[in-house]
Amino acid sequence: MTGELGAETLRTYEEINEKIKRGDAIVLTADEFVELAKSKGVKEAAKEVDVVTTGTFGAMCSSGAFLNFGHADPPMKLQQCWLNDVPAYGSLAAVDVYLGATAVSETKGIEYGGGHVIEDLVSRKEIELRGEGIPTDCYPRSYIETTITIDDLNQAILLNPRNAYQRYVAATNSSDRVLHTYLGTLLPHYGNVSFSGSGQLSPLQKDPLFQTIGVGTRIFLGGGTGYIIGEGTQHCPQNGFATLMVKGDLKEMSPRYLRGATIHRYGATLYVGLGIPIPIINEKVAETAAVSDEEIFTEVVDYSVPSRDRPIVTKVTYAELKSGKVFLGGKTVPTSPMSSIKMAKEVASMLKKWIEEGTFLLSRPVEPLPRFREFKPMPLKKYEPRVRDVMTREVYTATIDTEIREVAKLIVKHGIDHVPIVDDQGRLVGIVTSWDIAKAVAENAKSLEEVMTRRVIVAYESESVDVVATRLTRHKISGAPVVDSAGRVIGVITTDDLAKLVRRGA
Amino acid sequence: MVKLKLIYDPESASKPILSQVVLKTGVAINILEARTEPTAGELVVDVPTTGEKLREVVSAFREHGVIVKEIMYAVELDRDRCIACGACISPCPTQAISFDENWDVVIDDSKCVRCGLCATICPVKALRAV
Ligand code: SF4
Ligand code: SF4
Repeated sequence: MTGELGAETLRTYEEINEKIKRGDAIVLTADEFVELAKSKGVKEAAKEVDVVTTGTFGAMCSSGAFLNFGHADPPMKLQQCWLNDVPAYGSLAAVDVYLGATAVSETKGIEYGGGHVIEDLVSRKEIELRGEGIPTDCYPRSYIETTITIDDLNQAILLNPRNAYQRYVAATNSSDRVLHTYLGTLLPHYGNVSFSGSGQLSPLQKDPLFQTIGVGTRIFLGGGTGYIIGEGTQHCPQNGFATLMVKGDLKEMSPRYLRGATIHRYGATLYVGLGIPIPIINEKVAETAAVSDEEIFTEVVDYSVPSRDRPIVTKVTYAELKSGKVFLGGKTVPTSPMSSIKMAKEVASMLKKWIEEGTFLLSRPVEPLPRFREFKPMPLKKYEPRVRDVMTREVYTATIDTEIREVAKLIVKHGIDHVPIVDDQGRLVGIVTSWDIAKAVAENAKSLEEVMTRRVIVAYESESVDVVATRLTRHKISGAPVVDSAGRVIGVITTDDLAKLVRRGA
Repeated sequence: MVKLKLIYDPESASKPILSQVVLKTGVAINILEARTEPTAGELVVDVPTTGEKLREVVSAFREHGVIVKEIMYAVELDRDRCIACGACISPCPTQAISFDENWDVVIDDSKCVRCGLCATICPVKALRAV
């Protein structure tokens, strides 16, 4: 027994399992436990409750299945393998493959992917199997085509390298076009906020110190039983982004809790239902299990910035996100999740039922998950040019009341095509091109205001040239002003600058 | 009351067709949604009339080279497929979709302008624009 406050053991795993077997364990879902702790206090709730069940149901791209097909006659070493035209990784032993959730059909594209194959497998549908290999003395066959069902397989093991993110950032979009992201469709001008994660129901949110969650914890996975086999990839618990690696027998799972999905203009994925039982072994565990949506924060991030380090717009709680609206940039913005709160509740209730019925016992982890993991970016060893490397720094600007004639002179004198219009602080308010000026002269326009474009496509110094080139092409424009974070014009980047780069490269 | 989808080319986008039709027919047409792209424009409008008057409105638009389509029903939701993820909710331009108290999605037909966005983005194809 440790001397730490609240760490005194209230009940052991063995005692809990005895109660489960007798059918008198007190089990509450995380939602119910939060309410109980609010009304009676955590101390009292901890005394009364043995187990708290959690749940989440979201798109989990880092998911997949190991499949073993057994040997054909004559046998073959599968080098390449397709299931319903979706490629599976075959560089394992002869008839083992790994089918990733985000692999896409070679005939249907992202409309049908690895996640859909997994759903069809657990639905016990027939799947077309196609394989190619290099014949050897022991594996003479080079091609195979057949159909299989999950019951034909020796093993079908769901093994997901990264599941159940403790929380996730919420996404919004400051740009003027609709974005289709892995966090859903984002309307322009902060039109909406999309989020993921089940907040106070989220498994890793309920035991963030890993007092009960670790290697060997038995869990609800895809409607069957699974196990935590370690930290997930990108596990970063010190920042509230813990993740799990999990596995379970696919043959026992259900298509209700494993759903193939297509995120529009993004890709194929798999929705996974996952729930973890939290044994209330002491008051400290009860405290974290009682944490409510009001206390769980996440950042709203601007996904229109095409960089890894996207700007944080604001911080909100899951209570706000779940309420359907948040206050953002001076207005009320609708929110909605990408992960299903209804299904997360169902997972937690289902797990509760299993425990109450005595069919699911708790397991003591053999090792806790690490409490700290560095989260490193990918090092770019090859030089990637940035806007700052190629942009033109001598920029000639005008203000709204500059005479059209003056702007025309500027264009002719410096041989430029774009003149950004700025306010008295140098902040961008519009842009005119030589074409706009020609038109202004032809149409006898009185002021720049009549001809300038107000919605300006801009670039930032630190952006990669590649990204900006794509942006120019998409908007069919030949250049864009470069602005700093305050919106002040610090240069321009044009297709000419990009052409220089190509020449330099050659 | 009928919802119409008006499709026009960019040339006519700059002409005040809508106000001309309102003047000519005397029907107070209400814009529910506007989308202008470089190659075409689209309006969804509410026309608070029926019968003969409605036909008059439709032919007035057609005279201006506008393609007119009547929006008959809202989108169809397949409850068996829907996972209640909510991905369709906040992108809906008229906020016609919401969660009920059980976290199931509900669509308010009277608000829906049949833009079809929700059907496009539903990850499990539970929505269909009919
Ligand atoms: S996006 Fe599709 S699955 Fe998700 S709530 Fe809407 S209809 Fe249901
Ligand atoms: S079609 Fe869907 S997204 Fe469009 S208005 Fe109707 S409910 Fe909203």
